[in-house]
Amino acid sequence: MELSLNHYTQGTRTVLEVGGEVDVYTAPKLREQLVELVSDGHHDIIVDMTKVEFLDSTGLGVLVGGLKRVRSHDGSLALVCDQERILKIFRITGLTKVFPIHDSLSEALQDGE
Amino acid sequence: MNEVELRLPPDVAYVGIARLVVTAAARRHGLDDARAEDLKIAVSEATTNAILAHQRVEEEQPIVLAFGPEAGQFQVLIRDTGPGFEPPPPDDPDTRDWTQEGGLGVTVIRGLADEVMFVRERGTCVDMKFSVELDNHDGASDGNGSPDGDGSPAGSAFPRGDSSG
Repeated sequence: MELSLNHYTQGTRTVLEVGGEVDVYTAPKLREQLVELVSDGHHDIIVDMTKVEFLDSTGLGVLVGGLKRVRSHDGSLALVCDQERILKIFRITGLTKVFPIHDSLSEALQDGE
Repeated sequence: MNEVELRLPPDVAYVGIARLVVTAAARRHGLDDARAEDLKIAVSEATTNAILAHQRVEEEQPIVLAFGPEAGQFQVLIRDTGPGFEPPPPDDPDTRDWTQEGGLGVTVIRGLADEVMFVRERGTCVDMKFSVELDNHDGASDGNGSPDGDGSPAGSAFPRGDSSG
């Protein structure tokens, strides 16, 4: 399954919906999208990973890069993820302490309001 | 070991094929759904590293995956003929340097596999084992693996010298 990307604005936040598989082959598209959003002035981003089928450390690296970019603009990057198989690698790598991770988009939107 | 070998060009487009084929074989040999997902990620990590190792030195030879059941476990060997590398020591997430975007792959493999060895040969061979009979094992392992007596992967599983040239 290919990577799908879709973004929209919700109040002051930008939601980036990611679907499909994020690996070394597709991650450059995700990186490009995050770079583009930040350079267009979207500095408070929620990455909704509810529809992600697969994610490995290449995808984690891109998310870390996105976090660094928004922080350089005093922004934020939060994640929505409710899949244990994906949450597990966030725990293994310690990234649960780095990213705010929410079970649902509504919860992510409420956080920080 | 009922061995299957898969040779892939050093092109990142093939990483998805590697994880699909190996995961399908592991399920057939009894790995449950949760552990098959862990295996899928670990295979993706090691295959990515192998392909990138070849690309860094413009090595056009294929990378080789060998996999199958081995003594109650499902074993996957992923071999490249790149420059080889010394795996970093297990890192502490609390003190990790987050200014680096990469370098998480080895941490993920160690955290997912029941056993793993990084063997330096003519390149690198990653030897991963996943237990088929889990008995509610949650899969979390800080495993550096249990090295075999001779410190090399099971010889029967991955004959040496099959891709020299």
